[in-house]
Amino acid sequence: MYWLSKTRYKIGLLLPSFCIYTVFILLPIAMAVRYSFTKYSGLGKPQFTGLQNYVRMFQDDLFWSSFKNTMIMFVLAFVLLLVLSFAIALLLNKKLKGSDLSKALIFSPAIIAPIIVGIIWVYILDPNVGIINGILDAIGAEGLKHQWIGGATLTPYSLAIVYFWQQLGYLVTIFIAGLKMLPEEVMEAAIIDGANEWQKVTRIIIPMMKSNISTVAILIITGVFKIFEIVQQTTGGGPNHLSETLVTYSYTMTFDSGDYGYGMSLATVTFIVSLIIVGIYSAFFGDKEEKKEAKARRKLAKEAKAAKKAAKGGAA
Amino acid sequence: MKTSVKKIVAIIAAMAMTLCLFAGCGSSDSASSDGPVTIKFGIHVANPAEQEPVTNQIVTDFNAANDGQYTVEFEAADTETHSKNMKLEAEDGTLPDIFWIDASEAPEYAEAGIIADLSGYLADNADIDEALNGMENAFNNGDMQYGLPYQCNVQGFYYNKALFDKAGVDYPTNATTQDEFMEMVNKLNAAGITPISIGSKNSAFAMWPFNEYLTRYGWDNLEGTYNTPEMVKCFEKIAALTEAKAFNDTVATSEYFDAKQAFLDGNAAMFGSGQWDCGACDEALGENVAFWWGPQFTDTDAPQEMAMKVPSAPIVVNAASMEDPAKAAAITAFLNYYYGPEAAATSFAGSIFPATNYADVAATETQYAMNSMIEALGDGWQSPTAAPDQTLSPAVQEALYDAIFGVIQGNYSPADALDKMDAAAAN
Repeated sequence: MYWLSKTRYKIGLLLPSFCIYTVFILLPIAMAVRYSFTKYSGLGKPQFTGLQNYVRMFQDDLFWSSFKNTMIMFVLAFVLLLVLSFAIALLLNKKLKGSDLSKALIFSPAIIAPIIVGIIWVYILDPNVGIINGILDAIGAEGLKHQWIGGATLTPYSLAIVYFWQQLGYLVTIFIAGLKMLPEEVMEAAIIDGANEWQKVTRIIIPMMKSNISTVAILIITGVFKIFEIVQQTTGGGPNHLSETLVTYSYTMTFDSGDYGYGMSLATVTFIVSLIIVGIYSAFFGDKEEKKEAKARRKLAKEAKAAKKAAKGGAA
Repeated sequence: MKTSVKKIVAIIAAMAMTLCLFAGCGSSDSASSDGPVTIKFGIHVANPAEQEPVTNQIVTDFNAANDGQYTVEFEAADTETHSKNMKLEAEDGTLPDIFWIDASEAPEYAEAGIIADLSGYLADNADIDEALNGMENAFNNGDMQYGLPYQCNVQGFYYNKALFDKAGVDYPTNATTQDEFMEMVNKLNAAGITPISIGSKNSAFAMWPFNEYLTRYGWDNLEGTYNTPEMVKCFEKIAALTEAKAFNDTVATSEYFDAKQAFLDGNAAMFGSGQWDCGACDEALGENVAFWWGPQFTDTDAPQEMAMKVPSAPIVVNAASMEDPAKAAAITAFLNYYYGPEAAATSFAGSIFPATNYADVAATETQYAMNSMIEALGDGWQSPTAAPDQTLSPAVQEALYDAIFGVIQGNYSPADALDKMDAAAAN
């Protein structure tokens, strides 16, 4: 495959993807940012209003409530998903009886459409017709009954649990794939050296699976900032927008209130917040070894290029 | 095959694939120079045959009567999707020839020059203008007649007489006051019957009975500010209903359809809605269903003898379609049929009040809900030009819905709710 390594072929192969990515990802983002500085109803010409939408946003109680809900869901989902999906993957990676069935059961929510997930959980969480309050009623624990969804307090926590339930299987699968890739000789050496289970996990498995953990973490971060259908189906963002997330509030403002400019400013801030969180994660917890390797690879390539150039110059 | 030939084949294949990718972005015109002229009717329900059977029947009848000459085809989507689609299609010039649009959005389309001025059409069709009897005025901005009413809406409370009898409560009348209404609520609650079924999830627009409240507190006299003493009193009456536990516990997690089903299943005594639910009420409750405007109020000077008989959202005509003579003729023919006596009779048969009034068109004896509405209308009260929620821009309309359900669910005080409307109007 010599011809594929030439720069012009690389460009030729990358160009279609780059064009599609530009047209369908970068351009819409640029347009959304542009509209965020305008007053626009979706019809006619947008009027440039400068930072007005952003000033309005920071004075908007509902923006802050949506932001708070999103962050509650993010923290809860991030902690639960990262820790438990890894723990479950470790468990399922052992050759235990029934582990294949368990894998299938844990993965099954991931193949259900999010809108159906919402419907299922309405029947579980609804304060009046839901299974949880029904069971609490049946066992005489009325005091533990709560407005799991539809109230102003518990809804974001409940929605984080729903998201956790939906995503768990998928993330467990990624971790299991990572565990399968670990070299057996390293694990055997650890056993010979007398490492216990905890030491194996903390000293060998976690360090060797850093890139898997990073992937999962970034999937969780980006996923939480895209939660939409679950909110729409369970509460519709209500009551009175109190269970909106940044994404659903942006949608409501854009399409229900016809305020495209403000809706796009909300979308832009959501995008920036998720980028910042991914950035913080990468800066503090990213795979530093991989970064070092990439840096070394870039340095080598640069040196090779310089050497080639020098050789060419010498030949001339 | 040589490498260079392989490369050429690969490049051609890649180009073909890229072209295929964009092929779906093109538009097609359903009008043909040989066959019948086809016009598209954008409608706000996903399944017109099921969800708007009367309009579906009118279109079917029109197509049959104009076989070979004109055909009307639906472009159907649920209300929210339809609204989004219309805006997107307005931007890329692919709007249907005729389309339903929410009254709050229609003025924007008129200002953007996207929809046709129908004043010429009305001038040329004096009989239809007369049959509309001023109902079209809600869609005239002084410069142009930008739409015509899709139907005539009659809004208020349906009630289940059997449940009122069970609780030993007298039926409401046109003269029933808010105090008497509160007594009714208390008695129904005491009998273990949910007084009013309502749902806010994804359906905050389902506030129809409160349009009458707003009107009876002088909505039409508001000037610039919503937080006025009169409006505060109006919202306090809604808050009083919440305090009296007039509504189902599931307001936040129920949709309009859930609330309707609860009423149709006999699980609530009243349900706020409009004439579009007459058929469903007749089918589920039969002669037990009746209709009421809502209470009168004694602490305001605003006129109380007001009937919420108002134009529904408009249907509008794509201005670009009217520039094509063949399409313009088809659209005119369809409008003539839609607002003619035959379609009015079809509407009545389907328990829908048409936007037009024609003699000898009436409901049958078994159309209980519709007959109850006709009886309520019998007092000959005045009606507002448009329902209050249909007089607002989309953002303020959304704020009104939020305000009413905020008070119903105890999340906002009346003054806070009205402040939020003022804030939305200021933006």
